[in-house]
Amino acid sequence: MDENASARLTRRALTVAHRVGLFLAMLLICLPGIWIVLSSLRPTVEIMAKPPVWVPQQLSFDAYIAMFSGIGKGGIPVLDYFRNSLIISVTSTVIAVAIGMAGGYAFARYRFRGKSGMFLGLMLTRTVPGIAMSLPLFFVYARLGIIDTHFGMILAYVALNIPFTIWLIDGFFRQVPKDLAEAAQIDGCTRWQAFWQVEFPLARPGIASAAIFAFLTCWNEFALASQLTRSVNSKTLPVGLLDYTAEFTIDWRGMCALAVVMIIPALTLTYIVQKHLVGGLTSGAVKG
Amino acid sequence: MKGFKPSAPILLLLPAFVVLAAVVLVPLLLSLYSSFTPFRLTRPETFFVLIGFRNYVSILSNPDFWYAFGRTVLLLTVALNLEMLLGLGLAMLVEKATRGQRILRTLMMFPMMFSPILVGFQFKFMFNDNIGLVNNALQSFGITQDAIPWLIESHLAFTAITIAEVWSSTSIFAILILAGLLAMPKEPIEAARVDGCTPWQTFRYVTWPFVMPFAYIAMTIRSLDVARAYDIVKIMTDGGPAGRTELLWTLVGRTAYSDARMGLANAMAYFSILLSIAFTVYFYNKLAAARAQIGAEW
Repeated sequence: MDENASARLTRRALTVAHRVGLFLAMLLICLPGIWIVLSSLRPTVEIMAKPPVWVPQQLSFDAYIAMFSGIGKGGIPVLDYFRNSLIISVTSTVIAVAIGMAGGYAFARYRFRGKSGMFLGLMLTRTVPGIAMSLPLFFVYARLGIIDTHFGMILAYVALNIPFTIWLIDGFFRQVPKDLAEAAQIDGCTRWQAFWQVEFPLARPGIASAAIFAFLTCWNEFALASQLTRSVNSKTLPVGLLDYTAEFTIDWRGMCALAVVMIIPALTLTYIVQKHLVGGLTSGAVKG
Repeated sequence: MKGFKPSAPILLLLPAFVVLAAVVLVPLLLSLYSSFTPFRLTRPETFFVLIGFRNYVSILSNPDFWYAFGRTVLLLTVALNLEMLLGLGLAMLVEKATRGQRILRTLMMFPMMFSPILVGFQFKFMFNDNIGLVNNALQSFGITQDAIPWLIESHLAFTAITIAEVWSSTSIFAILILAGLLAMPKEPIEAARVDGCTPWQTFRYVTWPFVMPFAYIAMTIRSLDVARAYDIVKIMTDGGPAGRTELLWTLVGRTAYSDARMGLANAMAYFSILLSIAFTVYFYNKLAAARAQIGAEW
């Protein structure tokens, strides 16, 4: 009886400890984001107040209104940045996924010489740090005159994304049983038809998540963009964040507002894709 | 070349190779060449002067470079290990939760959506000595009266950078390890419990070997872009105070663009590339070994 009671007590204590631990962990994870959103809605006076104002006294969308109201009125060309970001990210994602599909299919379906070496080689091109990559690219682009153009950025981002899309898509094609495509071919499909009508639809959720992952990489990239862009012609949002910094001061409220604008598309897309993403990264691990 | 017909996989991989050759390989060869010249952006004619290994010699004899190199390795080691441990803990906490796992999983991925540069600004804001959340909280709780100079004192700045880095990347580990935990069959754990294993033994000898490949996937993915830390450091301290948080990557950026000494910067960049490759190959091999251990075919 006594033993039972103490066991029950330990169990309950463990449950409570687990809940508390979970709550604290989630708080730590979310707090910085919440703080950014909150700060974007508060007047600068409150952000700078000493002693700090913990409970917001007044909330307003002034920062967002100022941001979109154009240059000279406390705004930055955020619409231009947004458009650049969107064009560059979407175009390079589409191209990278098309190339990644071809490559991923090759790795998943064919056996050829030097396959694993080639795979590792592909991955290694991704490890070159953005800043190290930007030096020769800057030089080459300057010679070709494609600095500060959409084309230059798209080209760089396609190369940046190919290794990873190939890895992901390879994993998803491996999950599709080979027999299905073979059965379709026996029934009279060409290999091309078998691919589009059988294998592609089955791997589609995975390919979609590879696309979103590639999109997010472009959307968030900074090291390359900061060197290869110069003006509103091609500056992307991450580089645009720097517009809120001056030599010694930073407009925290404006920056927080831009951060929120940047994060919302990323947030939505990641939420849609989360389940498939993990599946693609790990599918090779257990089943081989 | 009569009747030469390239095989299908080669054709399929061709576009990838072409793009990567154009954007990665050729520029890298160019930068390899220019690392043997005294090339300055302001004086293009210096591009054709070969000076042998002088850039490399001057780097290797420069203590600032070695400090930056050591600091980079230190940051990576500390951050990766912390991320691994915290990620494991977080994954196990979430796996134990009986309700609301979907929501928890989404919350867990929250930091993954933040651009590294955003992480940098966010933590620069929070660690601001005057108006930052951290100091405000510490003062409100009465823990300290002083404004702790988080980003101004060198050790604190390094700590702050590590915290930002860990915050932004722990979720990659957590989400992948959680995937491993969820995919794991339950029978071995029950068998171990019946055989009288303590919870620790069950974890160490049953759960961990199974989850390890997933941890190495996370490590491999992370090592693919360890240089993300560049964005964070660039924003938070820009290598300051007085170069005390200078990493290899910020040093390369400064030498190349502020000092315009491209040749020298390219020589440094090669060290950072080698470092990244070393990390990736190491974890890639570990991944293959871990896969072999749980009997998966490669």
